Amino acid sequence: MEFNLSEEQEMLKKMARDFLTENCPKSLVREMEEDEKGHSVELWRKMAELGWMGLIIPEEYGGIEGSFLDLAVLLEEMGRAPLPGPFFSTVVLGELLLLEVGNKEQKQEYLTKAAQGQVILTLALNEAESDLDPDSMTTTAVAKGDEYIISGTKMFVPDAHVSDYIICAARTSEGVTLFLVDTKSSGIQCNLLQTTGGDKQCEVVFNEVKVPTKNILGEVNKGWSYIERWLPKAMVAKSVEILGGIQETLEMTADYAKDRMQFDQLIGSFQAIQHHCSNMMIDVNGSRFLAYRVAWMISEGIPCTKECYITKAWVSDASQRVVVLGTQVQGGTGIMKEGNMQFYFRRQRVAEVMLGSSDFCREKVAQEMHL
Amino acid sequence: MDFKFTPEQEAFRKEVRAFLKSEVTDELVEEVNSGLGLGPAGWEYVRKLGKRGWLVPMIPKEYGGLGASFWERFILNEEIYYCFPEFIQYFGANIVAPIVMEIGTEEQKKEYIPRIARGEIEFALGYTEPQAGSDLASIDIRAVEQDDCYIVNGQKTYNTACHYAQYHWLNARTSTEGKKYKGLSFFIVPLDSPGITINPMWTMGGERTNEVFYDNVKVPKKNLVGQKNRGFYHMMDALDHERMFPITHIQRGLDDLIKYVKGTERNGKLLIEDPLIRQKLAQFAIDIEVGRGMGYRIVWLQDHSKPGGHETSILKVFVTELERRLTYTAVHIMGQQGALRYQSYCSSPIAGWLEHWFLADTRRTISAGSSEIQRNIIAQRGLGLPRS
Ligand SMILES: Cc1cc2nc3c(=O)[nH]c(=O)nc-3n(C[C@H](O)[C@H](O)[C@H](O)COP(=O)(O)OP(=O)(O)OC[C@H]3O[C@@H](n4cnc5c(N)ncnc54)[C@H](O)[C@@H]3O)c2cc1C
Repeated sequence: MEFNLSEEQEMLKKMARDFLTENCPKSLVREMEEDEKGHSVELWRKMAELGWMGLIIPEEYGGIEGSFLDLAVLLEEMGRAPLPGPFFSTVVLGELLLLEVGNKEQKQEYLTKAAQGQVILTLALNEAESDLDPDSMTTTAVAKGDEYIISGTKMFVPDAHVSDYIICAARTSEGVTLFLVDTKSSGIQCNLLQTTGGDKQCEVVFNEVKVPTKNILGEVNKGWSYIERWLPKAMVAKSVEILGGIQETLEMTADYAKDRMQFDQLIGSFQAIQHHCSNMMIDVNGSRFLAYRVAWMISEGIPCTKECYITKAWVSDASQRVVVLGTQVQGGTGIMKEGNMQFYFRRQRVAEVMLGSSDFCREKVAQEMHL
Repeated sequence: MDFKFTPEQEAFRKEVRAFLKSEVTDELVEEVNSGLGLGPAGWEYVRKLGKRGWLVPMIPKEYGGLGASFWERFILNEEIYYCFPEFIQYFGANIVAPIVMEIGTEEQKKEYIPRIARGEIEFALGYTEPQAGSDLASIDIRAVEQDDCYIVNGQKTYNTACHYAQYHWLNARTSTEGKKYKGLSFFIVPLDSPGITINPMWTMGGERTNEVFYDNVKVPKKNLVGQKNRGFYHMMDALDHERMFPITHIQRGLDDLIKYVKGTERNGKLLIEDPLIRQKLAQFAIDIEVGRGMGYRIVWLQDHSKPGGHETSILKVFVTELERRLTYTAVHIMGQQGALRYQSYCSSPIAGWLEHWFLADTRRTISAGSSEIQRNIIAQRGLGLPRS
């Protein structure tokens, strides 16, 4: 066994930390919450130059052909920053799914552009009353000549308002089908939602949107089977991003406890505070050694569906405990808008229910256990 | 033992409920939830409460109260909290009035209590300073005697309500000799006094609080409340009043959450049919009954002029932590909808305000004495465990 990252991964981690420290200061994070786009085009361009959007894309499509574990390293740093914008959408919701299901021409066309940071991708899966569930999905796609017509309303679609392509899951004759939809098509309307975390999500209304048959991903009616293959990995990706946030929360909180004086002592000398910090560390370490072990399994191609669900279940809950203790230890400072703790508190809230809440994941684990 | 309210108290509750039903408009609730404290609608409503003597029911009639007991105040607060789960405290009525009644001069009682009772004035609590949060004995804003005044210099932080209150309930240092907690005193200071600067601070839940600077502010000597240099003890008594609240806001949250799960489908099923959710809701009904008992216990102590002491701390920890658990469980049950801000047009009104409340109440386990401090009090004063 080896718990250390490889030399290249350590370099990637360090580069990401340095780059984001310099290019994604908290002032930018704050600004982007208010900004309608929600990300800096300048920063996006710089990340593209570093090849980050091509990290998991094969060389034949202009990528770096890194592993899932490499991606995990990068996502952790992004969660720590915390980086605003459509990186996760483009790479995890878009590229990772396209890699799973796209045909050669589709990959050639879309992954090549995505690798260069030329297009932003996202995925429209859920609806107001449908959360990771094919049966209750109401958005439909009806064949008409060499086109399909999509109608319905998707919800909680991250970054749709700045996306070039949306992968849309829609109900077809006998199941769900995935369509790659150009956001310039007529009939698409994006309504920006305000979230607890200040990230950007949209309601996307498809009003008889025409999509050419060649933009179907995989086979008609088989869409959900691709989602089921992709989703566990996406959950692990979300989990390592959350991990970055709680690692930062832990460090920030411990630093605070070593600096803040009350009753002529450092508050870190009170056992109540020490126990809070210890509990945070137990949760952060638990998350780390679970999430990275599973990310490694994905990288190695070892079957790990159950472990993926376990990861998101645990990290969702553990991260909630960590941010609550972080705010508690930092007292008034921890909950003020002016400070940095609140970013992590609010972002955790969004992330824990994105791509499967712990309740959802536990049910999946139970199914994997054949209960 | 007897756990009934008297028929008169039951009738009083009915009267209060009917009043609130007609007076608590959407506009008023929205104003309260704005995090800005009392605005035009809020002041009007407070004055209407005042007209009935309901702001300070336990204060004698001659000072504008009803001459009733702490039970009437509690009944009132139970009904009010049900209407405003994100409650705003009426600091003047709930905290300053009973303390001034106890330790103030006759002149002070006449000057402030009737106006508090009528809902004309509000107070802002002036305890916390940058270096004195949990450790209030370290308060360092200085009040130095000069002729018939005290000259006050220094800084306060997190002083909520300063931007709409008329008076500061200021705890300041009047002596630097001996033990730190033996050099503090209370003052009532008009917030429009020359030399006071008030700057806004915002919580992540959008609530406004303030930092306040005193630069050679003249405070007449007659504004000193209670005994000079006994302000720390008075402050502890005042905190007992602040840590005292009913549990009906949580009941309201639960009722609204139940409405939401009864009316919302996810993945083809009404949420209310989910056994996991049913368990969670039932647990809140259980916890609320526990909190109810704790609250009544404190009122009974007050009614018998006994100190609440560590039992108030038990109530404070239990209720605020239950509130946090409720709002978190609510947004968790709502799934992705629970992570939408209340302004989002697609968020249902109930979902919207529960999300808002979730962020706003992050402060409850910190302000008015953190949970850790309450637990220290319970262990040390309640159980006699040694101080570390
Ligand atoms: C929204 C808001 C509104 C407020 N309104 C008012 C107001 O109107 N007027 C006013 O005067 N103040 C107000 N406060 C201040 C509030 O009372 C303080 O924030 C609180 O007392 C905690 O102080 P602190 O923030 O400095 O945290 P600290 O005292 O620095 O505490 C930091 C952490 O250390 C812990 N700690 C401290 N001492 C001990 C100990 N001995 N043992 C174990 N743990 C310990 C605390 O529990 C906390 O977890 C408000 C605060 C907020 C956030």
